Amino acid sequence: MSFNGIKGAVNVPGEIPWEIVLLYFILALAFVFYIGKKQGGLKKFTTLDLVYIAVGAALGVAWEFYIGSYLGRLLPSSPFIGIGFWGRILIILIFVALVRKVGAGMLSLLIFNVLSDLLHYGFGGEPMFTIYETLTYGLFIDLLIALTGGHIFGIGLKPNTASADVPEEVLVKNLRRRQNILAIVEGIVLGILFALPDPIFYLGFFRPFLYGAIVNWQTVIFDIEAFIPGDVIITIIAGFLALRVARAVGQ
Amino acid sequence: MVSWILFFYGSVIPVIIVLALIGIKGFVEITRYESGTTFFYKLNPITKVVLGIVVMAVASVTTWWIGAILTAAMLLVYLTLNDGFRKFMYAFYLFLSTFLGGTWSIAPYTPYSVLQLAGFKQFNVIWVWPSYFTAFGYEPYLTVQQLIYGAQVAFRITAVVVTSLLLVLTTTASDIFRMFTKLKVPIAITFAITVAFTTVPKVFDLIDTSVKMQFLRGFGYGKTAILRPFYLLVAAILAIPPTIIYLARNARNLAISVDTRGFRAYNSRTSLVELTYSKYDYIMWGIIVMLIVLAILANIFGFGRTIPYTGL
Repeated sequence: MSFNGIKGAVNVPGEIPWEIVLLYFILALAFVFYIGKKQGGLKKFTTLDLVYIAVGAALGVAWEFYIGSYLGRLLPSSPFIGIGFWGRILIILIFVALVRKVGAGMLSLLIFNVLSDLLHYGFGGEPMFTIYETLTYGLFIDLLIALTGGHIFGIGLKPNTASADVPEEVLVKNLRRRQNILAIVEGIVLGILFALPDPIFYLGFFRPFLYGAIVNWQTVIFDIEAFIPGDVIITIIAGFLALRVARAVGQ
Repeated sequence: MVSWILFFYGSVIPVIIVLALIGIKGFVEITRYESGTTFFYKLNPITKVVLGIVVMAVASVTTWWIGAILTAAMLLVYLTLNDGFRKFMYAFYLFLSTFLGGTWSIAPYTPYSVLQLAGFKQFNVIWVWPSYFTAFGYEPYLTVQQLIYGAQVAFRITAVVVTSLLLVLTTTASDIFRMFTKLKVPIAITFAITVAFTTVPKVFDLIDTSVKMQFLRGFGYGKTAILRPFYLLVAAILAIPPTIIYLARNARNLAISVDTRGFRAYNSRTSLVELTYSKYDYIMWGIIVMLIVLAILANIFGFGRTIPYTGL
């Protein structure tokens, strides 16, 4: 018998050794605690941040399980297309971009997972999925926030006022252009990162671990290559939308 | 031609069921709490969560018709809810759509190797797809066994979806808050979960308003009735950006009103109502134990799952 639908198979042919997976998640967790300690843990999130994160997760659930799942049926099933996942990432990135604090990405994915369990999955296979999604997709978003110093997609940057003889409009225009370029560059980076966990961790470890599935490394490599174009386009769009929403909300 | 009808049967019918029969208002109804006094409203939310987990586990380790019975039983529970018949019909449409879509999104793609692993020995071909259908990832033939396999997986999904929504329909946001507090989840996370929980029906409500406004302004006016669900779909997608912006702007109001009540001034909150286990919970726990015994018996007598452990 298995525990909560988790079979716990660790020696399926081709499966990534569990030690490596465990090491990744221990390192990821260590990073979470380090950042949490350094920046004051959950306390640094204002109530408004928490509401943003919650609304993002709720919209993500509404999209992935109710709107996107029916749209996806109209399209051929192919690794190139992931309507549900794209919508979720798009929505969550927009709301994370409103918060822009390290940890916002992981918290968003955590809330999304708990909510999708309440509404749809009924806590099957948990806590594996929550740990996995939070510490892969969520962590990647947070790494980008940390690298950009809290200015993901260039949101919150001020126009360069050092040169006084340039008119205000030109400065704002320059800033807009810089933000657009940043949105594209960071979108590409995030898109490529987002393509990795599902094939590597899910097909390579969690699926055999949870269900005892056989690993086909050709599928893994093909899926990574097939996920990249869609994910990159969606994350770039998310960057542009995040810029617009941030402006509409008045940041 | 028949191939295309079959193809659209599996992909379009679920969408039409959702758009025409449930509608966006239906999603509001089926994700929002309404007060009631019957059995399910009196249960501790933790009991309901455990029921969901057990139903999921039982449906996934037993044969397809046990999943079907579980789904049917859970659907019938909707009749006991406040305004039960309407909720039952919405849940039934959702089940129908999920079931058809689920079966159809799995069956034609399942290769014979998987079916063999699933323990099927003979294959009855009922339809030969045109060769270009393999571009969608279809197998060359459709067999009865593929359909059984698809139904098996789909019933596993429907049983859980129907049970999960039962939790959502009969539990107040406050009770969800208390449940996570009792499970010692940090208050910031509990708060975010509760807000998200109450936002889901609001999302559909806002989309509905926006869709109606678009129709009032003449979107899809004078087109035939057959096309109407698709106009609804397009309108719903167009409604998403305004919904996002509206929710993002209103987030500030909610944050201010929560902060003025002294939220997070302390690390914990005191609650007037304590979550308790009543006799109804003990009855439910009895049913849960029976379900587990049933699953074990089913496996002993050879009615275990017909999905091989190669995953979905």
